[in-house]
Amino acid sequence: MRKSHPLRRAVLVGAATVSGIVLLLSLKPTTDPASASASGLPPQQSAAAQAPQGGSGAQRTGTQDITGDAVRTPYGSVQVRLTVSDGRIVQATAVQAPQGGTSGQKTQLAVPRLNQAAVAAQSADIDTVSGATYTSNGYKQSLQSALDKMKASGGSSGSSDSGAAQALTLTGKAVRTPYGPVQVRITVSGGRITKAEAVQAPQGGTSGQKTQLAVPRLNQAAVAAQSADIDTVSGATYTSNGYKQSLQSALDQAGG
Amino acid sequence: MTTTLAGGRAARRQTMRRIRPRRSPAVPLLLAVAAGGAGVLWLWWVNTPSIADTGGRIVNAGRITGLLAGYLMALVVLQMARVPALERRVGSDRVARWHAMSGRYTLCLVIAHVVLTMWGYALQAGKSFGGIVEQTISSVNELPDMGKAAIGTGLLLVIGLISIGPVRRALPYDAWYHVHLLTYAAVFLTFWHQITTGNDFAVEPAAKTFWYALYGGVTFMVIWYRILTPIRLNLRHQMRVEAVIEETPGVVSVLISGKKLHRMGAEAGQFFRWRFLAPGMRFSSHPYSLSAAPRPNLLRITVKAIGDHSARLRELRPGTRVWAEGPYGALTAYRRSRGKVLLIAGGVGITPMRALFETLPGAAGDITLLYRANSTQDLVLWDELAKIAEERGARLMYAVNSPDGERPDISAESLKRKIPDIDRHDVFMCGPPGFAQSVYEALRGAGVPARRIHHESFEM
Repeated sequence: MRKSHPLRRAVLVGAATVSGIVLLLSLKPTTDPASASASGLPPQQSAAAQAPQGGSGAQRTGTQDITGDAVRTPYGSVQVRLTVSDGRIVQATAVQAPQGGTSGQKTQLAVPRLNQAAVAAQSADIDTVSGATYTSNGYKQSLQSALDKMKASGGSSGSSDSGAAQALTLTGKAVRTPYGPVQVRITVSGGRITKAEAVQAPQGGTSGQKTQLAVPRLNQAAVAAQSADIDTVSGATYTSNGYKQSLQSALDQAGG
Repeated sequence: MTTTLAGGRAARRQTMRRIRPRRSPAVPLLLAVAAGGAGVLWLWWVNTPSIADTGGRIVNAGRITGLLAGYLMALVVLQMARVPALERRVGSDRVARWHAMSGRYTLCLVIAHVVLTMWGYALQAGKSFGGIVEQTISSVNELPDMGKAAIGTGLLLVIGLISIGPVRRALPYDAWYHVHLLTYAAVFLTFWHQITTGNDFAVEPAAKTFWYALYGGVTFMVIWYRILTPIRLNLRHQMRVEAVIEETPGVVSVLISGKKLHRMGAEAGQFFRWRFLAPGMRFSSHPYSLSAAPRPNLLRITVKAIGDHSARLRELRPGTRVWAEGPYGALTAYRRSRGKVLLIAGGVGITPMRALFETLPGAAGDITLLYRANSTQDLVLWDELAKIAEERGARLMYAVNSPDGERPDISAESLKRKIPDIDRHDVFMCGPPGFAQSVYEALRGAGVPARRIHHESFEM
């Protein structure tokens, strides 16, 4: 029966727990977008470079892509992009939405319905998807900001790709997935994507294997499609979705 | 009525076995628990490649505390599942202290988990620390199983509150105990949000399976050892009160008869949790040690009237049905590693020592009992002890306060003087915490190694 010191023990255990957690957290790399490429993968050796037949999606005449503000929700940011043709919304997509776990499930449930609703309503006056209130509200706010931009530009058509003569490298947003961030860099030359690569992708264990499997295929698909409208690699859904989002944000910069 | 239980030859023969001390499995168990904790942290580590910002860091601190709390919660419940390996090998008293300690720690982790997670979400949503309340309300409303989890957490807070020292002492034991049982409901309610909203379980099916196995295993143990085992025991042995004997004013022995009681596997030094099916006593069960080695048809407990329950025992009528759970306790002959044994009893702590004094195998002069009481009138069961001592050739000593109330000298020196070879003894000890602490120090001072001092104490 050693003498017990309850107070000393409590202080020791508390201090050990706090410092253990702080240590664990500090050992994790941070994903500051500025330092993103530094902590990323070695550049994927993308098989691409030679682009197939042109222009399926990136350039459209008379259509305009307008990206709304990114609206933060407790589960992640929501950002809506509208494709406007002759003053009408012809397509709405979420370039950012909460990912991972329940949030990801809710996104999968809610976003397609919100996209449809936005096109149908031609305004931000759409119903909230029940069970996904935050995402819906964020979506509506971002949609409204996109609509405001559309009005400000007078709904004018025609500002399509700048089509820079020389090659231009554009890095998309780092998109968080449950397994880690995904960030895509594209090389645009003559208004066409000539190369796509992931500067960040999930690493380690199963995630790393999936990255090795999925990323080269996604890189190829991006160059082939010339848009973010590429197939998800089965078995690597989160990574694929993150890739597509980041790719879209890079394309948005190109189309800016 | 002369129902002293003298001459336990049969019982003694039963415990006549080679002295082969069984090690307490405490250390391997604690190592296994630590390994599990490391596994839980590893789960977080592999599922979290990077952290974005301050909000993310705080959410992740919330995830770590949540994972650890979920893991430990299962173990806190397991510690009270009355698993024989814990109760009889590690010792009920030690396990109860573990339970209290880990329970407090787990509750702190739960609180940290709630605050950190909500704060982190609030930061990610662009709110400050003040947005935490709003964030909590919306998370409880929006996320699956969070309503249940909120109720469960509320229950845990109430249970934690009533277990704080002063509050607990102010409450009647039964009230405290029955509120404490709500922990099962709280654990059930908080379990589901771990699976449905926990990031690591959503993305890692193996982790989810492990979590179900952990909680399922604990549930099984609780049902098996806390419900089914006692039902089987009591159906088989059909115990009733045989007689109630007043030993000294304020101390009663209760004799309990039943079928094939020697088949219960109870050892001298162990205790049962007793529930007497008499009016007003039905709903509380209390731990009392056997004060004599079990006989084939008779058990005996000796109890000092301290609380409400123990005072009522004298009014028990013969024939009253008894519901017992046990045997529990690790203070048995298995702990012994030497031929010579010193038993030290303080006050009513004599009961398990009395049973051991009777049954511990040993030649004449091997067994010594030192009995500490306030006065010679308080030396309960003295006549029996004297008889056993004479029959076995064992030594019996007592230490009481002097007539002017001075406390007897139990120190390293006095112990060494009385028992010169004390450092070659195994010491079994039972008594009030203050007494046990001072005797422990005296024993250590007299050269008895800590591993050979065996004691049981039920104070937290």
